[in-house]
Amino acid sequence: MSNRTLSRRDFLKLASAAILTASGLLGLEGLFRFLNTQTEPLPPTEFDLGLASNYPPGSRTLLPDIPALLLHAQSGYSAISLVCTHLGCSVESKPEGFACPCHGSRFDPQGNVTRGPANKPLRSLRVEVTSDNELRLYTT
Amino acid sequence: MRPSFFHHLHPPTIPARQARLRYTLAAGGLAVFLVLILGITGILEIFYYIPTPTEAGNSIQTLTFLVPFGGLVRNLHFWSAQFLVIVSIVHPLRVILTGAYAPPRQFNYLLGMGLLVLAILLDFSGYVLRWDEGIRWALVTGTNLLKSIPLIGNALYTILVGGTQPGLATLIRFYGWHIFGMTLAAGILVAWHIFRLRRDGGIAVPPPPLREDQTRITRFELLRREILAMLLASTALLLLSTFAPAPLAAPITASAPASETARAPWFFLWVQQMLKLGNPFFWGVVVPLAVLVLFSLIPYIFPKPVKPELGRWFPKSNRIAQGVALFILLSIITLTLLALLPAS
Repeated sequence: MSNRTLSRRDFLKLASAAILTASGLLGLEGLFRFLNTQTEPLPPTEFDLGLASNYPPGSRTLLPDIPALLLHAQSGYSAISLVCTHLGCSVESKPEGFACPCHGSRFDPQGNVTRGPANKPLRSLRVEVTSDNELRLYTT
Repeated sequence: MRPSFFHHLHPPTIPARQARLRYTLAAGGLAVFLVLILGITGILEIFYYIPTPTEAGNSIQTLTFLVPFGGLVRNLHFWSAQFLVIVSIVHPLRVILTGAYAPPRQFNYLLGMGLLVLAILLDFSGYVLRWDEGIRWALVTGTNLLKSIPLIGNALYTILVGGTQPGLATLIRFYGWHIFGMTLAAGILVAWHIFRLRRDGGIAVPPPPLREDQTRITRFELLRREILAMLLASTALLLLSTFAPAPLAAPITASAPASETARAPWFFLWVQQMLKLGNPFFWGVVVPLAVLVLFSLIPYIFPKPVKPELGRWFPKSNRIAQGVALFILLSIITLTLLALLPAS
């Protein structure tokens, strides 16, 4: 028999290996889709903060559930996300800025990085005053 | 006498010189003993632990303070787990420093590396089950590290966390992996590891003509030493469990203030310290995986130990592997100590 023909035994071996591999990959794909599913509702992206008059000019209000810091300056309302841009720990608000307890990143009061490892500023969150004079904060 | 299962675990005789405590450090045997304690105490904990964010902390309090011997069960589980991680590092270190991974034992060395990884992942998942303020940031950063992996990161995150942020789905998944998925895998690997140990000829020794000391001890003497080691280990575990209870902090609430410093569990402090250097993917994923791969390749890429030198400490033939292992271990210890320094 020449070397170029495939014996019946080799063909069956190859076919079984191919079928087993294919079924294994299909099974893995199924397992991946099975596990890669989220059943819980997405976290809220809008927060009603109540009457705008509760936050007088010059106030800095900690909103730990978001977590964010709400500022009322002369230019209006603004908010800074307290989620560290490095790995997501909540940063601590201090007089000199923000400090991350996990890996030591520091941010100035405007949220700009003053010390790594974070390399992006803290996110600014959109704050709107509604028609009935209430504050609404958006995290997206 | 008909051989019993006991005879599968213990050969009739083993070389006296390599059966000494100062050679084996009793590390492998202790690991098996700790796994047994962890299995028994873990099964007992299942009867009281409730894997939901609102109930986890309460159910642990109930187990610890209300259930007779509940605190002892939990503390034994905690301390055995910490010791298991230490023993799972000491054991391969002994194997490297005595060249005992020499052929034909390379494959069993790899099985052991798998067990080391499982011991660490089981310790981490068990730690997360406390679901208290103490584990909060390690869980957040640990899972966010997955997101830093290119292409598959976000899918891995959802597979592990079960959502877009840690919550009920996360706790249930960690619980499932901890009490069943990883435990099953560890059980199979332990059995396979011990089977290969016997298949590969027990403790690594030079071929008979090259042995300086031909004396052997019987399986009964071996058993006597094993029982002694188990009694000593039990005493240490009971003392620690009585006087140093396992930690439990207040349950996680969204509004809890961030503390001054948030620390990873002790076996991940070195990774936390490296993460302070910058890029999360490089320092938190690539470097730890590279360390693991380098350790796993030790029997394959460095000069191999020669047979006449087996069965004793620091053989000359595999000095490079010994040096690499000690260097990595010292680096990890240094990083851990740096992480423990007060934050500047």
